[in-house]
Amino acid sequence: MSQRDVKQRIDSVKNIRKITSAMQMVAAARLRRAEQRIAALRPYAGAIRRMTRQAAEAAGGEVGGNPILQEHEQERTVAILLVTGDRGLAGAFNSQIIRAGLRAAEEYEAAGQGVVFYGVGRRGVSSLVFRKLEPAGAYTGFTDRPAYADARRIAEDLMSAYVDGAVDRVEVFYNGYVSPLVQEVREEVLLPLQKATIDEAIAEVADEEVLHHALVEYEPDPAVILQRLIPDYIEISLFRALLESTASEHGARMTAMQSASDNAGEVIEDLTLEMNRARQAEITQEIMEVVAGAESLS
Amino acid sequence: MARTPFKVEVLTPEGSVFDGEVEMLSTRTEVGSIGILAHHTPLLGMLAPTELKLHVSESQTVRFAQGEGYIQVADNHALVLVEEAITPEELDVAKLNSELADAEAAVEGAEPHSEAMRRSLRDKRRAQAFLEVAGAESA
Repeated sequence: MSQRDVKQRIDSVKNIRKITSAMQMVAAARLRRAEQRIAALRPYAGAIRRMTRQAAEAAGGEVGGNPILQEHEQERTVAILLVTGDRGLAGAFNSQIIRAGLRAAEEYEAAGQGVVFYGVGRRGVSSLVFRKLEPAGAYTGFTDRPAYADARRIAEDLMSAYVDGAVDRVEVFYNGYVSPLVQEVREEVLLPLQKATIDEAIAEVADEEVLHHALVEYEPDPAVILQRLIPDYIEISLFRALLESTASEHGARMTAMQSASDNAGEVIEDLTLEMNRARQAEITQEIMEVVAGAESLS
Repeated sequence: MARTPFKVEVLTPEGSVFDGEVEMLSTRTEVGSIGILAHHTPLLGMLAPTELKLHVSESQTVRFAQGEGYIQVADNHALVLVEEAITPEELDVAKLNSELADAEAAVEGAEPHSEAMRRSLRDKRRAQAFLEVAGAESA
């Protein structure tokens, strides 16, 4: 390679490094916002728990009766919800979810159960379509910044499918957020909702946070309020999964872009060395020619 | 005459949208319209989509389009817990109209007494209530 070619390659790698380090900074800023949104959900979830405890005690302590708490007698069809991102360039973020979901699907099918896919994020949806596994529900365009309304829409689709009997179990696969550097594939059963989940949730509420029954007015009846509170647990779980997935995506992209920038730095170093060597060789060549010329004159 | 203020917090899954003192709060539970003043008796209510009005003072009212949710009143403090609380300026009328049309079509297509039907009726009710709030704004 001539000196000029090497110089051009160095310039192009430098441009790539500019882009990857800009993407890294954008991902870092979005990650911070995503973390704040996970934190913002906590007070709401806590208040829902307090109200559930209050309503459950006023209604006589029985949470059961809601159709999303009822296990179906036979699990013929399992719904698998894959939570991925709309964009790539984030390391194994999308592919590890797709792989885990497909592996689970194979196991269910081997056991004679039917599988229905639901996909969040363009990456997951398009890879399902590519494999001719047309998703029953596809939700895209919001994974950078999921809203509660998105979680609610997905949760309602899944709950309708469950209550109306189209599916007998719903599992969600998403990237759980551990730290900016660590994401882990999590698999959770969304439906049927376990009664224990609600019992545990309301057990976390301190006794002094519950009002004395006799004094409290209810509009409408506490049992009716309780029936609406229960599906909220599904919506909140799903919203948390979407928020964690978003934080994980930005974390994974930040890490991927960091290592891309580091690699670019190494390539630039190698190429610079090569260019210096080529320049040195050229100079040596010229000196030798001058010396040879001088010798031929003497 | 100025009324005694009391504390109100409006909390959504995406964070707190209001936290301060108001003289009166008006909203609607599944039972009917409700106005809350200071020293209200303890209450747990289930809210329907409507306009949430917080009368901060005689001249200032903070308004939101409120989705479904709950209200808890205790110790002279009201907690409004709603899925969404959108300021009237942020409402997108065109989007709400198309959501209303979708919901109406879904109601037509759904099996009677199915979960899909119940849910379409809820979506329709929300779109109608929010359009009313948006209409009140432009009037």
